[in-house]
Amino acid sequence: MIESHRIRAILFLVVAAVGATIAALEFRRMHELEKIVPGPGVTTVGRLSDYLPNLRDTNGDTPVFFLEGSEEGETVLVLGGTHANEPAGFVAAVVLIENVTVSRGRLIVIPQANRSGFTCTDPLEGYPQRFSISTGSGERWFRFGSRGANPLDHWPDPLVYLHQPSGQRLSGVETRNLNRSYPGRPDGSFTERIGYAIMQLIEQENVRVAFDFHEASPEIPIVNALVTHEKGKDIAAAAILNLELENLEFALEFSPPNFRGLSHREWGDRTDVYPFLMESSNPIQGRLRGPTSAELLLGGVDLRYRRAKEVGKIRITYHSDGEPLDRRVGRHLQSLRAVLDAYAEEFPERSILLGNLPNHDEIVAQGVGVFLK
Amino acid sequence: MPIELIVLLSMLATFAVGIFVLKLPAGVALAFGSVVGALVAGYGVPVRHLVEGSFGFLEPILIIAAAMVFMKVIEATGALGTISHAMVTSLYRWPSLLMILVALFIMFPGMLTGLSSACILTTGAMVAPALVAMGMPRYAAGAFVAMSAVYGEIAPPINIPVMIVGAGVDMPYIGFEIPLLLASVPLAIVTAMYFRIRFIRKIRIDEVIAKLPEPVFKKHGWKLFVPIIVVVGLMTGIRVSPAWIPDIGVPLIFVIGTLSAFGTGERIELLSLSRKAIRAATPILAILVGVGMFVQIMTLTGVRGFIAVSALQLPEAYLYLGVALILPAFGSAYTAVSVLGVPLVYAFLGQNEIVVTSAICLIASLGDLMPPPMLLTVFAGQLVEEKNYFRILRGNIVPVILAIIVGIAMLIFADQVRSLY
Repeated sequence: MIESHRIRAILFLVVAAVGATIAALEFRRMHELEKIVPGPGVTTVGRLSDYLPNLRDTNGDTPVFFLEGSEEGETVLVLGGTHANEPAGFVAAVVLIENVTVSRGRLIVIPQANRSGFTCTDPLEGYPQRFSISTGSGERWFRFGSRGANPLDHWPDPLVYLHQPSGQRLSGVETRNLNRSYPGRPDGSFTERIGYAIMQLIEQENVRVAFDFHEASPEIPIVNALVTHEKGKDIAAAAILNLELENLEFALEFSPPNFRGLSHREWGDRTDVYPFLMESSNPIQGRLRGPTSAELLLGGVDLRYRRAKEVGKIRITYHSDGEPLDRRVGRHLQSLRAVLDAYAEEFPERSILLGNLPNHDEIVAQGVGVFLK
Repeated sequence: MPIELIVLLSMLATFAVGIFVLKLPAGVALAFGSVVGALVAGYGVPVRHLVEGSFGFLEPILIIAAAMVFMKVIEATGALGTISHAMVTSLYRWPSLLMILVALFIMFPGMLTGLSSACILTTGAMVAPALVAMGMPRYAAGAFVAMSAVYGEIAPPINIPVMIVGAGVDMPYIGFEIPLLLASVPLAIVTAMYFRIRFIRKIRIDEVIAKLPEPVFKKHGWKLFVPIIVVVGLMTGIRVSPAWIPDIGVPLIFVIGTLSAFGTGERIELLSLSRKAIRAATPILAILVGVGMFVQIMTLTGVRGFIAVSALQLPEAYLYLGVALILPAFGSAYTAVSVLGVPLVYAFLGQNEIVVTSAICLIASLGDLMPPPMLLTVFAGQLVEEKNYFRILRGNIVPVILAIIVGIAMLIFADQVRSLY
């Protein structure tokens, strides 16, 4: 006769095993790769590990798309997916790869800069693993990941992350944040190596203008901002003026000199590049959000944020009709265009000429799916 | 009634029925509450979310498990009794000074690691027998150790809740030393004096020594303290010389400290002690698993946002009251600052944000004492063998209120506090 507590224990173990198996299958799905179709402008597809071989065969390695023009001009880098839970940056980068052609200069796009982050979601956040967009070829799915690298690739987190070489102290979880890792180290942590490889790419490919596409919670003050290093202030100011003429409001923010590890700070300080970082308002990242779902990610409609804005206790960047992905992607691409136009005015002899770059109004009117293959 | 409120009430009701009617362990009751919350919200049984949430506190779970084994092992070596003995015999003539030094001693590991639980499981365990032997009721000794552990979490140089808020508002961890010192050390001294005046009269050293375990220093010498030296040395070394000593993680530090106990000269039955330690820790570890599921379902269903926006909707005059009541009610400093830390920093925008963040984290850290997890309270109860954990919590009512008053005062007068240094 089996004692009753043993029966309970066996039942508990069976339930746990079934639950773990179901969850494991769902977690494994995060390692399936979404489709990214090289468009007519793509001339070469490389890998990030070409710039740091010890990244090869790791989840830190990621495709690098080159779009080379026939005329000589400036080299521009675009990063999406630095944070895999900020989908507008990732999707904007995919739109560039699948649509844009280059007649002068060269465009380099890394759509999933921290590819490891696309293989898991953040515990306690209740995030969806995927979202779908209707395109001309049917539904296309994309992964929604975590802010940092997957702990399976970079573990354990220290209690305190000590940024190298500055020695700045940050919360331990930031050790897996690519946008706190720059300039990185070739023999450093997993995430530091990704940061180092991107720095190497910037130097070896002679990049002069670089973009890092992000999103942020609606309560974060730098939402809808264009953040730049002090050397990019004239270009950014001119771009923001042009954007205002197009009824798109952007705030100009400067990279804090004492906050190390960020792309706009370290790229700007350590290379010849003019760095620009864009932030759009993404309710699914926010702490005040209501139910968490793929619909919130795509439509950006959240009643809690609407209420919080009405209350007016804190500054909330949230439109009454929501913050849809189409608009967020449109803002990224429109600001990229504005910055490149301003750069061309500043340095006419070193410009880059892009074709087929959809603008904000087109994306909002037609939906971003129209610009995905 | 908003659906989020219905979901929240269903989760809390299921938890309460699980605990009080079905007599389930708290961790299991939390898991059931999570499942019911998801069902009520129309999500079915979201297995992936439940499993993912259970990993939300993996790091603390590993730390607690490793630290519990470490504590059992150094208890078995006789080091705990020896330290308690030495502390009492050298300072019994000055009980006030003794209590203040004991509070600062308990705080020390928390100052280095930012973990309140590390205080209880290491230095708290060392002083608890002495406190009880000095005549403090078991619940009061537990309350004092738990409260000092909270101050250890707040005190500089390392404060994890502040770093969590800082990550959310892009604020580097710079300039927090003095406000965190102001938010912790004076309170620790006042708390020590409170417990001294209430519970410790004249210390009769012969009676106290008779209640303490026999010191074994003469038998083993300094090697008795090797495990403690290894753990404190590694924790300190990682902070002081990060270039030379890699951060191997707190769990591994405790494992190395445990293994070094074989060099103390005392016979150690590691397997048996480990089983005892893990058996004692399992209810707490299960609570952390359950809390992770609970938070994940709250976030998934919108309950988390509902609570956060409700807090922001409080009228200006009640905002401070809301901060005082809601932040500790999260039952975990990390959870409270993760959810409300960032919005509150913005709600108090215009005042010195470093002092504001320090004050918010002080109040949020009190959550480590509170149900449902009651992490520090449960640990302290195990330490002093007080089964009624709520008695320990009640013993801390005055210090908790005092800490909340200090925290709110820092919020209101943040700019004036900044002008002090």
